[in-house]
Amino acid sequence: MSMSMSRLATQQQALVGALFSLPSDNGIKKIANYVVDTDYRGLKAYQMNARALAERVLQSAYPVLAQLLGDESFAALARAFWHASPPVKGDLAQWGGVLADFVHASEQLADEPYLPDVARVEWAMHASAGRADRAADPATFQWLMTGDPERLRLVLAPGCQVVCSLWPVVSIITAHLADSPVFDGVSRKLNDRTAEDAVVWRMGHQPRVREALSGEAGLLAALRIGGSLDTALQSAPGLDFNAWLPLAVQTGLLLAVEPIGVDPV
Amino acid sequence: MSRGPSEAASDSGLKAGIGWRHRHYRELLERLPTLDFLEVHSENFFAQGGAALAVLERGRQSYPVSLHGVGLSLGSAIGIDDWHLDQLASLVQRIEPILVSDHACFSRAAHGTGIVHAADLLPLPFSHEALDVLCANVQKVQDRLNQPFMVENLSAYIAWKQPYRDDEAEALLSEADFLIALSRRTGCSLLVDVNNIYVNALNAQIAGDPGDPATRCMEWLDAIPASCVGELHLAGHCHVNNEHGNIVIDDHGSRVCEPVWQIYQHAVRRFGQVPTLIEWDTDVPALDVLLDEADRARAVARTVTQPGRSLHHEHEHE
Repeated sequence: MSMSMSRLATQQQALVGALFSLPSDNGIKKIANYVVDTDYRGLKAYQMNARALAERVLQSAYPVLAQLLGDESFAALARAFWHASPPVKGDLAQWGGVLADFVHASEQLADEPYLPDVARVEWAMHASAGRADRAADPATFQWLMTGDPERLRLVLAPGCQVVCSLWPVVSIITAHLADSPVFDGVSRKLNDRTAEDAVVWRMGHQPRVREALSGEAGLLAALRIGGSLDTALQSAPGLDFNAWLPLAVQTGLLLAVEPIGVDPV
Repeated sequence: MSRGPSEAASDSGLKAGIGWRHRHYRELLERLPTLDFLEVHSENFFAQGGAALAVLERGRQSYPVSLHGVGLSLGSAIGIDDWHLDQLASLVQRIEPILVSDHACFSRAAHGTGIVHAADLLPLPFSHEALDVLCANVQKVQDRLNQPFMVENLSAYIAWKQPYRDDEAEALLSEADFLIALSRRTGCSLLVDVNNIYVNALNAQIAGDPGDPATRCMEWLDAIPASCVGELHLAGHCHVNNEHGNIVIDDHGSRVCEPVWQIYQHAVRRFGQVPTLIEWDTDVPALDVLLDEADRARAVARTVTQPGRSLHHEHEHE
């Protein structure tokens, strides 16, 4: 603690330190010099609120992970993550993006090695929900008939992202998010270690996920960094573009086509 | 503050609104009930697009909107987060709210090797140093938003020690004096949460204050000049008595209790018919319950402006 730190900064640092300390009873020592004795009950109230908040926020972003772990384990995970990786912004929708790494590092969860990838896909879906809106412009698709692929760029849906996995993450997530979940096929794929790359995007306001087509991950990766259609196609030698195109249009993954070097109107 | 369904709301003169939460997004847009304004938590709409923002923009077409923040951390000694202020400014520009507010609290502080946000409304010591910090941060927000701003009093579950009792310059102010000074120095208005005052008074009673909590609250209100007050909040609270002890929590999870309605009546008498909001954030009930609470706020206001009317009389005719 710096000698030049103001009393207010010291008080605030002590209280925040008390709230994020583990075990939580250690927090009392951190604020003993600053608050009146009767207020330890109050510190517990703040700690309990933080605990409930952490669980609620992560449950919202990671509904499948929560189902996979069960209420008790997920609550314990949320609490541990709250202390290990506290929020840094006042918008809690921004908190939790590194949960996959935390799960990956957890010895207790090592027996379920697919969980980090499930978390990565769920975070991609969560993040896509708040991306800036962009409407489809079907009239621009005509460029695909007449334009030079080297001078065309495809505009993808908000939050479009590919998460590559050695596990059947798409099957796991779609089964758990379905209105009537069926897990038989998922168990078989898990036992067989079926790898699935996940395409995440937003259709209208609704986050979507499906398994990537062969070669699609390369195409989308190239497009996301602003590559031309020609460059993207070269990055996706295994992709049947004629099959991908109608699927991408119908599901809102492809929103528009722009000529490179011309400002969009 | 009078468009569409809000036009007929205020025959009492009091503008009454409700906190618009996720459970009621769709129902409220379908029913468009009589309300003077909606209040939402600013941070829930910081995204650049998506469903939540679209819902808010639809609500904005039918009701005036108040943006009530919980995360600016106005009292932080390390300052407010520029990113947060950028998001709020962008939302204000987009929604054109009638009111913008946050709390007299802090959430950001140095922790470990960085800065963390505790995601809670943590109390400030009512010190001159904290007042200077709060004023500077509020001024920064007002300069950026370029519109009137309000700051809400807190329900606090810890009390800071008096640092140096013999040194007048270092002595803590009363909460009322602290907030009055904030308002006078920055020009911001006060958002007076009546339930928060009562929760603090109840917890003070648990801690040994011999005074009557309701009387303490009315004294608190009497100390605040009417010219400082821009909005009132009403909510429910809960008593928790377990192995950790006895405490009253401002959980926004029940109807406004009778003592708070009485204190609210005193507040309206004291401050006039300032906009009043019903907050409900935990176990959010049916929309009609919130509308009923908003109606009661209007009824209480009428008993102040028309002293011959009793609350009993109001309910008979509604």
